[in-house]
Amino acid sequence: MRVSHHHQGTVPGAAFVDPQVLSRIDNLELVARFVVDGFINGLHKSPYLGLSLDFAEHRAYMPGDDIRRIDWRLYARTDRYYVKEYEADTNANFIVLLDISKSMDFGMKGLRKLDYARFLAASLVYFSNQQRDRVGLMTFDNDLVDYVPCSAKHLNVVLHTIDRVQPERPGALGRALHTIAGTLNRRGVLVLISDFYEPVDAVLDAVKPLRYRGNDVVVFHVLDPAEIEFPYEEAGNFEDLETGERIPIVPATQRAKYTELVLGHVAQLGKRFANDQIDYSMFDTATPLDYALFQYLSNRLRLQKAR
Amino acid sequence: MPFSFLAPIFLAGLAALAIPVAVHLIQKERKDAVRFPSLMFLSQVPYKSTRRRRIRNWLLFALRSAAVFLLVAAFSRPLFDRELDAASPLATAREVVILVDRSFSMGYAGRWERATGAANAAIDGLSGDDRATIIFFDGGATIANQPTGDHARLRSALAGVEPGSDVTRYGPGLKLAQGILETSDKPRREIVLISDFQRAGWDGGEGVRLPARTTINPINVSAGETEDLAVGNVAFRREETNERERVTTTARVVNTGIDPVNGVAVALELNGRELETKRVDVAANDAATVVFSPFTLSEDNMRGAVRLAPDRLTADDAFHFVLSRGQAVSVLIADGGTSRGSLYLERALGISDRPEYRVEVKRAESVRGADFAGRAVVIWADATVPPGETGRRLREFVENGGGLLLIAGQRSNWDALTDLVPGTVGRVTDRADPGGSLGYIDYSHPAFEVFRAPRSGDLSAARFFRYRPVEVDATGEVRARFDDGQPALIEKSVGQGRVLVWTSTMDNYWSDMPLQPVFLPLAHQLVRHAGGFAEASPWFSVGQVVDVAGAAVATVDSAAARPAAAGRDRIAIAPGGDRVEVPTGLLRLEERGFYEVRGNTRGERILAVNVDLAESELAMMDPQDVVAAVQPREDGGPALATAMQIPAEDRERQQHLWWYLLVVTFIILATETALSNRLSRRRTAR
Repeated sequence: MRVSHHHQGTVPGAAFVDPQVLSRIDNLELVARFVVDGFINGLHKSPYLGLSLDFAEHRAYMPGDDIRRIDWRLYARTDRYYVKEYEADTNANFIVLLDISKSMDFGMKGLRKLDYARFLAASLVYFSNQQRDRVGLMTFDNDLVDYVPCSAKHLNVVLHTIDRVQPERPGALGRALHTIAGTLNRRGVLVLISDFYEPVDAVLDAVKPLRYRGNDVVVFHVLDPAEIEFPYEEAGNFEDLETGERIPIVPATQRAKYTELVLGHVAQLGKRFANDQIDYSMFDTATPLDYALFQYLSNRLRLQKAR
Repeated sequence: MPFSFLAPIFLAGLAALAIPVAVHLIQKERKDAVRFPSLMFLSQVPYKSTRRRRIRNWLLFALRSAAVFLLVAAFSRPLFDRELDAASPLATAREVVILVDRSFSMGYAGRWERATGAANAAIDGLSGDDRATIIFFDGGATIANQPTGDHARLRSALAGVEPGSDVTRYGPGLKLAQGILETSDKPRREIVLISDFQRAGWDGGEGVRLPARTTINPINVSAGETEDLAVGNVAFRREETNERERVTTTARVVNTGIDPVNGVAVALELNGRELETKRVDVAANDAATVVFSPFTLSEDNMRGAVRLAPDRLTADDAFHFVLSRGQAVSVLIADGGTSRGSLYLERALGISDRPEYRVEVKRAESVRGADFAGRAVVIWADATVPPGETGRRLREFVENGGGLLLIAGQRSNWDALTDLVPGTVGRVTDRADPGGSLGYIDYSHPAFEVFRAPRSGDLSAARFFRYRPVEVDATGEVRARFDDGQPALIEKSVGQGRVLVWTSTMDNYWSDMPLQPVFLPLAHQLVRHAGGFAEASPWFSVGQVVDVAGAAVATVDSAAARPAAAGRDRIAIAPGGDRVEVPTGLLRLEERGFYEVRGNTRGERILAVNVDLAESELAMMDPQDVVAAVQPREDGGPALATAMQIPAEDRERQQHLWWYLLVVTFIILATETALSNRLSRRRTAR
């Protein structure tokens, strides 16, 4: 399946939901279910559901399900349609590493990066839990903040923890991920969500150790559109959210150079992560969440094939 | 094309252009810092301090600057200095004065209708910024309305006006028109002169000089008709038979037409009753006389009229008059003793029927207070005024309007009348042969006015051998002096009456005055003046100003009967029924017929008023003569020259560029609003 990289993409059957709309839903689980279920039900030909062939259970056929997955023998016995569902990577660990440093507490038009990251994390956790993965969570800024160990039953704990995170301190990937890497003892899928305001080398140095135990690392780079386009008009002092440092900025004269630097940073990250076989996707907070899930899953598929 | 501003002071507002420049040059700086996730990249971008040198949004800047500029320009009221389009409404705006002749000759059949038609046509011809004033003129002129372009108002000013009774005089109307045109700001000025152009109304000396570039449009409403019959004059001959006064009326009928008129009916009316009608033939351009049978004048203020059958010009078909019985002036002469002292005077006064003097001579010492009753004049000739009752009554008589003529002489002693005598009387001055003569005479005085003209009597021929010198005090006025400077005639006003002092006798002993031809008229004049007598005129002409309170009264009532001066309540009732207040006593007669004057000190008075027969002379003049006479001096130049000199205010008003500028400014501002909103939205969207 071909996935468009445009926001208003041409993904068949997908009705992407504006993150702004999701932000009005208080319950994070509801958000995750809304995103994931809608996403799954919209995929008529989803090849991703059930990545293993381990049978899990039967469930009643629902319109939209692939008719190839109907258990015809069961139909012969019961005269009812049932779909066979399978355990995917049963007992695989799925851990979200969520950056909650103060730089994530930014959103020019209401939806903060952190909110977006929370929705994304929740959706992924929910999605993984649906696939019977064991889900866990680690939040960090310049150190590990919250840690929810992996468990098939920890979905609610993870969602609750994601729900109450607050950005309080400046971030430092190197130190935090180093600590995290030390706590991981079983291979699994690591999803790292951050804005990566550090030099490319420093980021790579921080992320690469996560792969040492055979973990699959998926990196989501979340940025606000304002951080990319820099749409400010009025000159004035700009204050660093993490350090509190202020410098005078004339957007009109500095915008072009700034945008060039940011895009260069993103491009560098993409290139370096690709070199290290790490999934990397950059989303701005205007990107629909389900589109982000697509991105994730398509990357996973590609990587699996590559492997 | 030259270009200027009517209110250049507003150009100072161009300083406001600095506002858009400042708005666009100066970047807004945030007061509070922008919180940004990380300055990692921003700190790598070099900071440039060029922020005050660059104008952002050139289009917006241009729109805003243009709006400010145009707004300032609009307030400065720009105008092109080009020549005005001669066809533009402002350049062709006219100040029109419509002069309408309303003299009585305009009442000639059909003329007035043609005149109002012509005036209405002139009103219809007004357009755009034209303004008109209607002036009615006859002997005088009246402005009927303030200058206006409102056709309805002009028509209403014209409506209801009829020809009057006055004569035609072009001068006053043209003078008024000149005044209006001189103060007008309109580039074109025009006079529409609607008249029958009678020659009699123009004497060439009007002194009217119309402003430059005034055009005169004469409209002649006369078809050249001159046929008219008029009562030209009426004369009366009075006869007294059996103490009844009979009056024979002679009327003169004038035919101004070119055809003879035969059998014209001429009627005599008295108090509204027709007494007699006679027929007369009048030759072409000639006059005929009609003599009516005498009638008895049984009462005063009898209203009479001589009438013709109405013709095309009716105003002069009746001639009104008022007749009163002949009034005798009652004179008492208090003689000093010798009959010679008053003989000449008595005889002189006896020779008169207009007025008739009823003279009674009494010895001075026998005169009593009751003798003054009913007298108009008392003459105290060379006699002593007895003190006491007589003197007191004499003073009352004078104060109530009576006349007192004191004639000095040997026996004169006026000590009892010190407050009536205007000075101190000295002893007799004896002038040696050949005696003195009158050296100074105030010919403007009514007593001497008749001698004013040459060959009308030589007062200086009289010789005066003796007279009484009088040291005149401030209350007296010397009307004549002898050749040695001593006063001969002194006058003093006392109450409503007057005292005259003649300082020599009127016999032939102290002077030979009674033997001079001038004595008789002088005696008459002195007594008339002392008694305040003036002969009433049986008629007046329209346009005359009559002193209805003064001397020109028809009657000389007894002095004692005169009430105190009123005047404040004096009114005149015009023939048309209008009440005219006459507080000053001067009444201008404007209608033909009978005026009644009420509230006068001398009782009700009737004035007969006739039209001026000069107006019956219908001979026309060439209207171009009037035009040529009042034409402005300079040649005026072409009409465009007028337009070029239109004041800047008017040109600006015509061009009203400010209006266009404001519209453009509004459009620019609307565009600016839409554009800036769009830019703002786009910026916010980012």
